[in-house]
Amino acid sequence: MEILKCSGVEKIFGKGDNQVAALKGINLSVNQGEFVAIVGASGSGKSTLLHILGSVDRPTKGTVTIDGVNLGTLNSTAAAIFRRRKVGLVYQFYNLIPTLTVRKNILMPLLLDKRKPDTAYFQRIVDTLGLSDRLEAMPDQLSGGQQQRTAIARSLIYRPALLLADEPTGNLDRKNSREIIDLLKLSNRNLKQTILLITHDEKIALEADRVVTIEDGRIVADESRR
Amino acid sequence: MWKDYSLSYIKSNRSSSISVIVASFISALLLSLLCSFFYNLWKSDVDRIRLQEGDWQGRITGELDEVDLSTIQNYSNVEKFVVNTELSGEQELVVDLYFTNMRTILTDLPRIANLVGLESEAVSYHHSLLSMYLIRDPQDTAPRLLFPAYLSMTVMACVSLVLIIHNAFAMSMSTRVHQFGIFSSIGATPRQIRTCLLQEAGMLTALPILLGNLLGIVISKGVIAWANTIAVDAPGHIKTVWGYHPLVFAVTLLASCLTIFFSALLPARKLSKLTPLEAIRSTDELRLKRRKHSHILAFFFGIEGELSGNALKAQKKAFRTATLSLTLSFLAFTLMQCFFTLSQISTTMTYFERYQDAWDVMVTVKSTKIDEFEETDALSGLSGVQNVTVYQKAAAKKMITKEEISEELRALGGFANAPEAHVSSRDDGWLVNALLVIMDDASFLQYCEQVGIAPSLDGAVILNYIRDITNSNFRDPGRLPYVKEDSAATVLRQAGQEEITAEVPVLAYTREVPVLREAYGELDHYVLVHFLPVSVWREIEGQIGGTESDSYIRVLAEDGATLEELNELETMILGLISSKYETESENRIQEKLDNDEMIQGMMTILGGFCVLLAIIGLGNVFSNTLGFVQQRRREFARYLSVGLTPSGIRKMFCLEALVIAGRPVLITLPVTAVALGLMIRASYLEPTVFLREAPILPVAIFLLAIFGFVALAYYLGGRKLFRCDLSEVLRDDTL
Repeated sequence: MEILKCSGVEKIFGKGDNQVAALKGINLSVNQGEFVAIVGASGSGKSTLLHILGSVDRPTKGTVTIDGVNLGTLNSTAAAIFRRRKVGLVYQFYNLIPTLTVRKNILMPLLLDKRKPDTAYFQRIVDTLGLSDRLEAMPDQLSGGQQQRTAIARSLIYRPALLLADEPTGNLDRKNSREIIDLLKLSNRNLKQTILLITHDEKIALEADRVVTIEDGRIVADESRR
Repeated sequence: MWKDYSLSYIKSNRSSSISVIVASFISALLLSLLCSFFYNLWKSDVDRIRLQEGDWQGRITGELDEVDLSTIQNYSNVEKFVVNTELSGEQELVVDLYFTNMRTILTDLPRIANLVGLESEAVSYHHSLLSMYLIRDPQDTAPRLLFPAYLSMTVMACVSLVLIIHNAFAMSMSTRVHQFGIFSSIGATPRQIRTCLLQEAGMLTALPILLGNLLGIVISKGVIAWANTIAVDAPGHIKTVWGYHPLVFAVTLLASCLTIFFSALLPARKLSKLTPLEAIRSTDELRLKRRKHSHILAFFFGIEGELSGNALKAQKKAFRTATLSLTLSFLAFTLMQCFFTLSQISTTMTYFERYQDAWDVMVTVKSTKIDEFEETDALSGLSGVQNVTVYQKAAAKKMITKEEISEELRALGGFANAPEAHVSSRDDGWLVNALLVIMDDASFLQYCEQVGIAPSLDGAVILNYIRDITNSNFRDPGRLPYVKEDSAATVLRQAGQEEITAEVPVLAYTREVPVLREAYGELDHYVLVHFLPVSVWREIEGQIGGTESDSYIRVLAEDGATLEELNELETMILGLISSKYETESENRIQEKLDNDEMIQGMMTILGGFCVLLAIIGLGNVFSNTLGFVQQRRREFARYLSVGLTPSGIRKMFCLEALVIAGRPVLITLPVTAVALGLMIRASYLEPTVFLREAPILPVAIFLLAIFGFVALAYYLGGRKLFRCDLSEVLRDDTL
């Protein structure tokens, strides 16, 4: 089942002589349960694509459909609610709220929706991610790896249709990077979570089922590794 | 969740909340003071109306018997009625009515009149009193601008406060753009973010608003008590009894809450509209969107000057509240000081110094004609009295023919430019106002000697000058002869019935005025002043009339009399006459002291407002500098990494503080110079006279206080910054 579909997505930054085309007609389709890595050099447009897929940015041209919803039709409020429920975002720099505990950070998407968390699912996630004993800690009291695991837990708490991870290991050492990739694979396998991983590290990309290569705003390769 | 988030943010970032707390406290204080003042002004007006015009609400005039009065009494909404014996005649009764519910008076009163068989013309309303309760009859066409004025001034104050303090909220909120970007990226809607920010503003400002309101009430009570003390000796002063009403508190609270709400809403709306990408990309670092030049600072202070200049430009928005408040407060303070200094100089020159040798004690003898006053000799005999003049003024008319106009006045166009209100053209000339100053005989004889004629009580002395209207300098107006000095008699006419005349011999035409505390021809330049003795007045009073109701006693004490001696003299004078006459008295030295005290009082109140405004600005400066660790540690770590020394950073801080505190001066000086130039020109004063009295000390103290507090804010912020390990910052990319 197709969970994501991009058709002719273009993104142009700037105006007039300062125009820069970051994406030049991206066509991409991802099925439910796939673990896709998008690789490319710095400035190739992969983060721009991720932002568009995460509905935090809009394409200049083309359409993006996630779980049957055309993102171009959403206003800012609808886009926020869509992000909350359908997309999990994991950034390189974690982006945790420093003044909330780990528990509150993880539960935030649910709390924004005034929903009560599914205790069993919450416990399963924090157990899987090894955060059970750090739930009342503040983000500042965690190591980089723990902070990134908290961010992943937060992105999974709403059982999103799509998990978007932007260089999630970019700020971690080798051991923690390995752990994070294993956790993503685990959630892909156990929770049937569709994952789109953006990285410039080819070794990490090879952990995915499918590797899409972007160069200069265009998809130049799309290899399945199953 | 938002509550948890906001609470934990507030707890861990107290410094960034200071500005918001201070701004909301002072705003609430100012609004509370304003509303309390307005309420007390209104209350004092109501009290004055009740005292002077009576406290009746409606009135019925007509032939009323006992049965009618009983009908009136039994009308459900009538609280009580009083038969007005002063106004009632033999046939007609005048009944003053008081209603339980004043609001229905316009329908109730005609109904009552109907019940007692009278037409609606028989009723009248106390419009001035009812209008104070917003009860207006369509037939009452008098302009009642009190409430619109209060409302518009309160709205203006609220809008001004929103413009000033919304930056304090913006600053506090903008430190967390990144965090709200994270919220947004995980699905917080703009509305949720806005609501969170507004709730947070509510949490931060609830107590300051309440305290500000309460303190405002206390201060207003103190100020009114103080104003009563100062004005206690002022003639006609009615003591203002301080009062407060729960409704005023509700209105003040509402105005404060709305002011704070809109101040918080402006930046909250802006922040909530940021896209998650814009917000996440934002760092707390100071940035310049385009290249800026800090030529002057760079020229004088080198690279540190340029860096601090750029940093200030990058912090322009964060310091906007400070810039606005400090500049406005310093400008207002300086202008106020200059204005009151000029006003004081002017009053002293035109009033106290001008009349210094004319009077020491002035007594107004109420409702007394000069020819009825018999204590003149007794007053002259009091110890410490140099001379006494008893006088009364009367208004009459005089016809001036074309031939009688002086050559000088004719050269200026005669009466061609005279306003119709003062001069009316007739077939045989122009009818002008004649001011009659009727003096006691002894004083008039002395005046004759003063003008160099043989003392006589057989005629009048005419003050024969008119102001040169081509010279607008009121301080030193040019004067021209008014009429030709060849008439041996002057014909005075009764004002309103000009055909009734009285002829008075002219003893002299002069330009010298008797020693009285009077100014002539100030409003009506074409008035012809006649001085005449009471003996002459007795003969013509029947024809001319027009006297003012009160007479005046001017007493000049021995030279060099002190305040105590004048007080003693005043007591002796009043002891002599107050049992027989209703009097009001003034004492020159006491009046000067009261005037000085009143000006000081007004300066203190206005200065207090300026200080409060400055506190808002200083709160913003403290809030910024105490947030340095959060905002600028990366910036300073970079400077250190490229070799800027800690003393270089200190130099930057000093320069920034200098610019923030110095900017109000740079803006104020030229504005004040221009305003002062205009004020001096308008008051026809020599600039050197002002410079001798210039309010340098208070302005310098205010300025030094601004510099001192800004320096303290930078010192505390810098100390906090230097205490954290800046080298760590460069290694920590997660910031």
